[in-house]
Amino acid sequence: MMPKDFWIGSVGLGFAAIYWFEAGKIRISPLDDPVTAAGLPKALGIVFGVLAIVMIVRGLLEFAGRRPAVSGGITDQPKPGERMRPHLRAAGVLAIGVAYLLLIPYVGYALGIMALMLAISMYIGAPLGVRSVMTAVLGGIFFHLLFVELLGIPLPEGALIETLLGSKS
Amino acid sequence: MEGLNHAWTALTTTPAAFAAVGGVIWGILGGALPGISPSIAMALLLPFTYTMDPIPAIVLLASTYVGAEYGGSIPAILIRTPGTNAAAATAIDGYEMLKQGRGGEALGISLVSGVIGGLIGLFFLVVLTEPLARVALAFTPPAYFALGILGLSVIASLSAGSLVKGLMAGVIGLMIATVGTDPISGVNRFTYGSPDLLGGIPFILVMVGVFAVSELCAQAGKPAWDRPEKAQTRIKLPSWAMMKRLRKPQAIGSGIGLFEGCMPGAGGSIAAFMAYNEARRWSKHPEEFGHGSPEAIAAPECANNTVAGTALVPMLSFGIPGSNSTAILLGGLLIHGLQPGPLLFVQHPDVVYGLFGGLLVANLSLFFVGMLVLTPAIWLVNRPKPYLMAAIYALIFSGIYSIDHSLFDLYIVLLAGAVGYAMRLLGFPFLPLVLGLVLGYLIESNYRRSLLLTNGDHRVFIEDPVSLGLLITAVVFIAGSALRDLRAARREKDVDA
Repeated sequence: MMPKDFWIGSVGLGFAAIYWFEAGKIRISPLDDPVTAAGLPKALGIVFGVLAIVMIVRGLLEFAGRRPAVSGGITDQPKPGERMRPHLRAAGVLAIGVAYLLLIPYVGYALGIMALMLAISMYIGAPLGVRSVMTAVLGGIFFHLLFVELLGIPLPEGALIETLLGSKS
Repeated sequence: MEGLNHAWTALTTTPAAFAAVGGVIWGILGGALPGISPSIAMALLLPFTYTMDPIPAIVLLASTYVGAEYGGSIPAILIRTPGTNAAAATAIDGYEMLKQGRGGEALGISLVSGVIGGLIGLFFLVVLTEPLARVALAFTPPAYFALGILGLSVIASLSAGSLVKGLMAGVIGLMIATVGTDPISGVNRFTYGSPDLLGGIPFILVMVGVFAVSELCAQAGKPAWDRPEKAQTRIKLPSWAMMKRLRKPQAIGSGIGLFEGCMPGAGGSIAAFMAYNEARRWSKHPEEFGHGSPEAIAAPECANNTVAGTALVPMLSFGIPGSNSTAILLGGLLIHGLQPGPLLFVQHPDVVYGLFGGLLVANLSLFFVGMLVLTPAIWLVNRPKPYLMAAIYALIFSGIYSIDHSLFDLYIVLLAGAVGYAMRLLGFPFLPLVLGLVLGYLIESNYRRSLLLTNGDHRVFIEDPVSLGLLITAVVFIAGSALRDLRAARREKDVDA
């Protein structure tokens, strides 16, 4: 299998090409200077491309210099599924974050932050119980008091909460 | 002597001393919250200063700046989340020390170095304000461009292990810096019609993403219901032997902080990175950098706290605010009818020396306030891992939203977190990316301004003496790093043979 550097370089080269192409679309303004607004991005695209090629070459040299692996030996390497597990769990953290961002305009900051704290703590290993719920609730109240009441940050109140409160009054 | 009288009168007859302590407490809180930058912490206080007397009002704002510059290092060490841009360099080794069970020691080093840096910065502010301000005037656009290049040259030695990966990370940082409105022509770049991207991508979003969110992602890979294994529950001040070891990095940090603070636009971030790099270059234990070196905390902390003092030099002397924080301080002066400039020293010496006196109290109280704040902070990070991680995530989401009240910013943080996680896996260093991001605007805008002034003649960069000096220094830095890496590679080969 090709070394990591080869794949990093290949992806990097593709990225550099797309970036350079997109830089070429930057509008030329009548107010522009000789370098133009596209000057630096284009140069960066080229530099990144060159660095990516260096990575590819390094990967190829490493591949060429590698000794063939001895087959038939017992291997300690984890299975692909096990190898991927930490990365999938990492993606889960980001997914919980995205879910929070999608929900917060409806449920509001106070409820949203409590739900976020409960979800993350359970995801990282806390058992579902009174302690976890209380930590999330108290944490949510603390953050609400700090950011909304003390610092005066207008965090989202939540359309759902507003509707409920509005219908009561 | 007259100045000393003014300072003493201000501290004894006005509530300036209380304002100094209050400002430090508020500043530490603001700096410790990711997203609440020193300037935001100061801006939140600005409305309250309208009704105050001028001296306590200015002291309150300046002390908040001092406290916030230090406060940024607390989450940087404890949760790998730099509270301020300048604390990013501290996050690397500070968090490594925490993982080794030496978090209390790291906090002690950062506190003592911060106080030392702050006092040195104040000393130079008082003694050298006028002569140093003349140096700032010599800085033309070519010189600022060269200053940026000098900053970028640090990448060469921050990329231990793989120079190519370090350079790639630096270029990605520069690429991110090009997003938004072009500094010269006003043309939109890479905004794809999104108004949220017109102002560019703030540094703090990327820093919090690559440092903190990626760390949370990595931690989620090994779920556990426990407390940190090697917990240190108390702050530990450095011993005399350690203080002796830290003298050199602190001197380096203060020297760089002195220089950078006097340059409008340079700021604490560049000073901290350069101090980190130089401390490593001159250290007897450069191999410890990146793995929990006390020197790697002392140098940047000393540098950014020195900047908190010296950044006031161009602001007080010429009314040139070099950063958002000093711009707010300038606003505070103008609110009270005080026009910064040489005449300020003649017409309102009571305010100027009162400010100096207040800053002395602020820097001294920083030590005691820090001691009080840090023990509960250490207790907090020793809670069970799932609760701690949940609280950090909540803090990040709340703090980042506070910057522009935008959910879009939080998506950027998550994206930066994903990029940071990928960088960890592939062995890319973070610091070059941050450096490219921080310096991108400074380099591009001044490069193009220089060429506008000379009709595209590149000779301006070597004809300007300051620019030439800085560019030569950058070349020396890069060559030195390359030589060091070459020697290390040869040594490894010899050992293998």
